[in-house]
Amino acid sequence: MTATDLTVRLGPLTLKNPVLLASGIFGYGDEFAGLADYSQLGALVLKTITREPRAGNPPACRTAETPAGMVNAIGLENVGLEAFLRDKLPLALAHDTNLIASIAGDTPEDFAHCAAALDSTPLAALEINISCPNVKHGGMAFGVSPEASAEVVSAVRAATTKPIIAKLTPNVTDITAIAAACQRAGADALSLTNTFSAMVIDVEKRCPLLAANTGGLSGPAIRPAAVYRVFQVARAVDLPVIGMGGIWNASDALEFILAGASAVAIGTALYADPAVGHRVLAGLRDYLERHRLATITDLIGSLELH
Amino acid sequence: MSSPEVPPQPECRKLPPRDLLRVQAPILETAALPGDHRRLLLQAPQIAAVAHPGQFLHIWPHPPAEIDRPPCAALLRRPYSISRLRPPDGLEILFRVRGAGGRLLAAKTDGDLLDVIGPLGRGFSLRPDLRAAVVIAGGIGLAPVPFLLEAILARGARAILLVGAASDDAIPYPVERPRAGRATLPDFAALGADVTFVSESVEGILISEVLEARLDEFTGLGADVFAVGPRAMLKRLAQITEGCLSLQVSLEERMACGLGACRSCVVPARSDDGKAFVTVCRDGPVFYATEIDWERLQP
Repeated sequence: MTATDLTVRLGPLTLKNPVLLASGIFGYGDEFAGLADYSQLGALVLKTITREPRAGNPPACRTAETPAGMVNAIGLENVGLEAFLRDKLPLALAHDTNLIASIAGDTPEDFAHCAAALDSTPLAALEINISCPNVKHGGMAFGVSPEASAEVVSAVRAATTKPIIAKLTPNVTDITAIAAACQRAGADALSLTNTFSAMVIDVEKRCPLLAANTGGLSGPAIRPAAVYRVFQVARAVDLPVIGMGGIWNASDALEFILAGASAVAIGTALYADPAVGHRVLAGLRDYLERHRLATITDLIGSLELH
Repeated sequence: MSSPEVPPQPECRKLPPRDLLRVQAPILETAALPGDHRRLLLQAPQIAAVAHPGQFLHIWPHPPAEIDRPPCAALLRRPYSISRLRPPDGLEILFRVRGAGGRLLAAKTDGDLLDVIGPLGRGFSLRPDLRAAVVIAGGIGLAPVPFLLEAILARGARAILLVGAASDDAIPYPVERPRAGRATLPDFAALGADVTFVSESVEGILISEVLEARLDEFTGLGADVFAVGPRAMLKRLAQITEGCLSLQVSLEERMACGLGACRSCVVPARSDDGKAFVTVCRDGPVFYATEIDWERLQP
């Protein structure tokens, strides 16, 4: 039996395998310490940071469990750029794999400021969060417009030498238009999808369950919808795609890869199984062996349509 | 208000290093308790060896062997406070059969395995020179109390337990109402605690009123107060004890990760800018009452 090769490339970035943890799930990298060896994964995307600290949305409640999913409205609560650099990044760097920071802001200048400040760190890449559905300004407001998305990507491109990944929202009419705009503006890769805009209602109280009224749906419930977005984008643009949305096992990850994703990111499932990434990796190796494939890259976008 | 003894300083409570474990714990025993409550005894020696009163377990309520298949209901883990240690290697949890997670756990039988992460969170702080403790519980807030009481009594401190509930069957333990004298909970009296139980439906008073009536007695004892229960109760206790007794409260909030990563379970903390949040799962679930911004805390 020959060793399987799980190495993938995301533009200028090489990953030892295609399994990532998605932003906003893994905190700043030390919260899960002791539960698994996260250095084994291809990359870890840290929680989104902004130029200044943010308190996030009101509590009680910020998260609601739904059928095969959860709706969250955290609202980008984060420690801010300065504390991230001082307190969080040094701990995250204990993981011996690619670390990717996620940045957000109210203006393209905010994004550029963060990108410039992170340029001299050992981070492997920057993810640009233009798709958070849970903040009033910035966030998804950029990601629903090709022009605004491009403006942010251009500003970050000018501020950093690191590979940049634009994270897209599915809450648009045509996600391929956003993807194309990000490519033209200089993105090295795309990640999709962020959560789907959603609402949960407490019928006894006749009010939304979430304190922010609305939130973003994640988990297995969105997987087929996310796979389709990845399929659309991978065929429309010439950029590597990180596919995500409800991945729970290797079969789910393979759906994204066959649809065109060069890598996958895991989110919600990490809260049930802190070793989900390792379980998916083992399943991918098993799949390659069963199908007598030497490299995972042979599978990317290899979907045969009816 | 007379100047109180200086209570332990919350700002000194840095996050402790964690002994975080994930185990597949066999269920050794299941028991039905009053008021549609259940008790499970789990065998988890590694967790039992490092657990403190007030800490919790994060449990995936499905068979561990099915972890590769996403469940439709109860996708996330559920937090359960550690109710009691059962030497040599057991831990008990108590819960009410309510919601998807409670129903799944209630259907478990002896020998079933549970996927458990723990011990999680900051538990109660017991000072080395603790002389007397007043433990106040409301309803299912009794769940972590046996572990706490045993730790208090093991220090040779006096333990006074005040329990309140809407009715006698709203708590997971039998209530005894002797013809003469006050109601009690035999399970806790047997541990060596001085127990008072009041129900709104029988005695018609709240447990906070009992604390208020006995405040001078407790202040005279130099007692520390520990409370678990509904937020309205905790908020009232914080008002009553302010400036005269050290109060630690255990808070609950909806959690997702249980580890401090997702920021779902935050509660407002006292801070200079009035905007700070702390996580119940990692910074808590036990807080000094002086750490919480009670005005901003949602009921």
